[in-house]
Amino acid sequence: MMDTASSPILEIEGLTADYNGNRALDIDHLALYEQQLLGVVGANGAGKSTLVGAILNWSRGAPRVSGRVVLDGEDLSRLDTTQRVKKGLLLIPESQLIFHSMSVAENLAHHASEADAGGRHIYSLDDIYDLFPNLAERRAHLGAQLSGGERQMLGIARALRLAPRVLLLDEPSIGLAPKLVSTVLTTIRQLADNGLAVLLIEQNVKAAIEVVDRMTLIERGRILAEGSAAEMRDDPRIAESYLGVQTR
Amino acid sequence: MNFTEQVINGLVLGHAYALIAIGWTVLLGVARLVNFGHGQMYMLGAFVTWFAMTGLNLPYLAAIPLAMIVGVGVGYMMQRTMLSLTIRQDLVSVMIVTLGFGYVIEGAAALTFGSTGQILDTPLSQKDIYWGDIWLTWQDLAIVIVTIVVFISLKYVVEQSPVGRKVRMVAEDPKLAQLAGISIKRVYLGVFAFEGAAVALAAAMVAPRTPILTSMGFEEVIITFVVVVLGGIGSVTGSYLAGLGLGLFTAFFGAYVSSAYATAAMFVVLIAVLVLRPGGMTQKMGGH
Repeated sequence: MMDTASSPILEIEGLTADYNGNRALDIDHLALYEQQLLGVVGANGAGKSTLVGAILNWSRGAPRVSGRVVLDGEDLSRLDTTQRVKKGLLLIPESQLIFHSMSVAENLAHHASEADAGGRHIYSLDDIYDLFPNLAERRAHLGAQLSGGERQMLGIARALRLAPRVLLLDEPSIGLAPKLVSTVLTTIRQLADNGLAVLLIEQNVKAAIEVVDRMTLIERGRILAEGSAAEMRDDPRIAESYLGVQTR
Repeated sequence: MNFTEQVINGLVLGHAYALIAIGWTVLLGVARLVNFGHGQMYMLGAFVTWFAMTGLNLPYLAAIPLAMIVGVGVGYMMQRTMLSLTIRQDLVSVMIVTLGFGYVIEGAAALTFGSTGQILDTPLSQKDIYWGDIWLTWQDLAIVIVTIVVFISLKYVVEQSPVGRKVRMVAEDPKLAQLAGISIKRVYLGVFAFEGAAVALAAAMVAPRTPILTSMGFEEVIITFVVVVLGGIGSVTGSYLAGLGLGLFTAFFGAYVSSAYATAAMFVVLIAVLVLRPGGMTQKMGGH
């Protein structure tokens, strides 16, 4: 699967984000490798969503962001959000992740051009409908008519149509029934197994730890702990606070 | 004046109103912005057409695209200047800036073209069509045809083309559109350029019906505002229907009550519709 001996596909150095002078994010270093599924967990307000937003230089608020974001050896720090997306850095945000007034088919009609994709794999509609059969059945439905799970699938599918090199997912399990959480996370695991590098922001640590390769714990905008899924399962900070296991 | 005459008059007026408003329909649907310089841009379109025909001796068919090109330039420059305000959706500042632009355009036009009223005669405005008791000019007929063609084309572009899809994505959620790799700056600039071209086309078509003055434009802004709001902000079909409805209303009110109070009556209709149906007659862009 992943090869951490090679260079990371995505590397973050000294990434900070400030809201009105208050530091919400302060990440010294974070690396993501090809075919790796990296989980980033933490409590509410820990800075998880700010992290993925800062990687894209994107936010629904207006934080002041600085630091280096390197994708496959190329420094993207001077690029705006649109340019980063065209390089293959794709974010599926926590909420408002699809266009509700458009049908499923229209949501999926917008795709990367061969020129923008630069040799990356552009998922065809057939690829998408094979991966998400529910979307094929509902292709004529408006986004607003979809269930929470279907919206999440459509959000991921929309990103795949843009030929991602790295996929960033912000809390894809939020608001979903347990069975759907498992379906969504299994699909994400499958995408990583098929070659994508995935950074998964997740509050549902119990579910996430079952699918990720590595996990990073964030608190108050800083990395508190990181390691493989197995190591993190034994880490008392994870076990006690997020898995409900008494270690002492 | 008989009833049929009023219907014809109302339909011509209605198509003229819809054509004048089309740029704003897209502008409001996409950028969620208003352009209070719209009326002066209409005036500029009329004077560029007039100057192209009388000063440069260009034929009417060449003067129209020239006016549209100038309109594109003015619209683009206007949006380029206030792009950061647009992206921040700072509506109050945008209103003031567009209002200011309008007065700058008016002043520049007065300096260039003078303050005297002019007549924009076209080959079509001088030829009449008689059909029984009904009289109209070829210009009136051209307004109806051009408006229908523009609205059908726009509806197709907005609903069926990749460009229209991008515009609708920005209209619904500009932040999410960025995550789909769409440059919202380009879309905003494009929409303002379209607004400039559309209002110039409207001026070249509609202004031959009345004398033109560099101080005109206020009435056009009011008409546009009423049409766009009645039609449902951003709705292409809604604006067309609202234009027609308003044209018929103005024609009948003018004929049977008084044309002097037609604008006030328009506002009564606007207030009534806003109170009874706040979303206008149809949905916003996206619902079409």
